Amino acid sequence: MSEATVVGGALVPGMPHLLAASPAPSWKRLAEAVLEVGSRLRAANPDAVLLLSTQWFTVLGHQVQLDPNPRGQRTDENWYAYDFGHLDYDLRTDTALAEAWAAEIDTVGMQARRTHYEHFPIDTGTVVASRLLDPDRTLPMAQVSCNLYADADALFRVGAAGVAAARRLGRRIAVVGVSGLSSGLTPRWISPKEDEISDPAHEQWNSRLLGLLAAGDLAAALDLREAYSRAAAADSQLRVLPWLVGAEGAVGPGEVLASGPIWGTGAAVVHWPA
Amino acid sequence: MARVFQLPVTTGRTAIAAPAVVGSTDRPRPGIAAGYLAPHPPHLIYAENPPQNEPRSTGGWEVLRWAYAELRRRLTRLRPDVLVVHAPHWITMVGHHVNCVPNPRGVSVEPIFPHLFRYHYNMTTDVELAETIADCAAEAGLVTSKLREPGVRVDYATIGALHLANPSWDIPVVSLSANNNPYFYAEAALDEMEVLGAATRRAIETTGRRAVLLASNSLSHLHWDVEADLPEDMSREHPFSHHQYQWDIRLLDLVRTGPTRAVADFVPQHIAQTASETKAGSLTWLLAALDWPAIPGDVLGYGTIIGTGNAVVEWVPEEFSDV
Ligand SMILES: [Fe+2]
Repeated sequence: MSEATVVGGALVPGMPHLLAASPAPSWKRLAEAVLEVGSRLRAANPDAVLLLSTQWFTVLGHQVQLDPNPRGQRTDENWYAYDFGHLDYDLRTDTALAEAWAAEIDTVGMQARRTHYEHFPIDTGTVVASRLLDPDRTLPMAQVSCNLYADADALFRVGAAGVAAARRLGRRIAVVGVSGLSSGLTPRWISPKEDEISDPAHEQWNSRLLGLLAAGDLAAALDLREAYSRAAAADSQLRVLPWLVGAEGAVGPGEVLASGPIWGTGAAVVHWPA
Repeated sequence: MARVFQLPVTTGRTAIAAPAVVGSTDRPRPGIAAGYLAPHPPHLIYAENPPQNEPRSTGGWEVLRWAYAELRRRLTRLRPDVLVVHAPHWITMVGHHVNCVPNPRGVSVEPIFPHLFRYHYNMTTDVELAETIADCAAEAGLVTSKLREPGVRVDYATIGALHLANPSWDIPVVSLSANNNPYFYAEAALDEMEVLGAATRRAIETTGRRAVLLASNSLSHLHWDVEADLPEDMSREHPFSHHQYQWDIRLLDLVRTGPTRAVADFVPQHIAQTASETKAGSLTWLLAALDWPAIPGDVLGYGTIIGTGNAVVEWVPEEFSDV
């Protein structure tokens, strides 16, 4: 096989504010950056997207979505009073890749849980990211959940299992991690123009992390992860990063296309070309 | 607490009408007739095989289910107008939400346990009480919201406690969310639950309801992260650790001796030792709503579910102890 398996990777936010009809300046910048990353990833001509969203959190094993066409309406349980709290979705799954990924997860000694149920609630992060990355739904996806108790090493191996499955099938994949940065949400109802990172210290930590990603110093970023998680209450302890590295979606310097607040939390759009 | 924030889109509260009457001539007196710690792991509904739930089981977790059977017998005697539930899996990042949808219905497929819980629900909300709780909470300085959108999926912790307490669903309900902001684990969050509990009590008194409250929390919460092929294989079921078991029993010993304030004071320590699900605040809310009676609780049963500790507990205020 001469062609690369991974055509690029990205870290994108999953908060629904990116789809707001009247967004805050930060939400607009972030949404435009996700659209741009989507264009770049699709231009690299992948067969499928390998995706983990921290908002699909689970506690038993590693769930892999096998419904070929998850579709429905999601009314967000917190943001329902806003236009962006109402999301329609109609996704396509690369079921062969998802099956192969589950098999790889089992093979390396972890428990894959195959998920295929009518009315299964797709998480907001997956819906938001897929809509912006691939507005015309040209690419099927393979999705895995983010186990709340899995450590960074386990998520690295789940990512590696995904790329191994793609390699075995000869699939070209884009690798997408859907996660925020600092998670200090502003705990009150605000207007979009009021939005700012809730804690200046969180903002400094976010910048420090993004600096390492931009410099391509992934080892230092991984080393920083635990301290960053404690200091800035990072979304799911930033375990999206070891997953991205394991899946070869984060390799070398990443381009930070945008960063900024979403309701007090930190968010960024980072693209790693292959 | 100085913060009062309201969504711009909420509509006004409706006028308070006379409460629903249970038999107009011998209507039991209003107030909070009882409060229950009512854990919700989906395994319990799965094990019961009710018609509303799609998966089928061969049973399991019987001791906890027998505790719920006793709760149901007692609930029949209490004759409440309404069941009010606080549940940790309706997670709201901003504020405390109250479900004000008159008739939430749909299919709730649980994202973590979809193989155990695919439940067809059809609930009747006591809208007047729901709105009054939200109003009282806002007046007390809490960030609140009234859910009026029928499309929000009702979570398994809300359904679980309500189904197990009243599988016929013939009593109206009010459902409260768990405010899960990043400061969720701070003790300050439990202080807010005391404010929410007091607001709930005030709303019940204002509307003249006779209510039973359900705190939908498990206790110790570290658990297995893989599952047996047969989920109800009880040969695999035991406490996650002796440590967790001991701390659950310490909490339940306090419950059995009272007073309730001592239980609440112990909760932060119990959370620190066992990652107890009471960190979502449902138990603190319940005891605050009962107004901290100096009474023991009645532990109807204790058991583990995938290693977590779960207890069904009843508190009946003295003024209702003759029921
Ligand atoms: Fe729970």
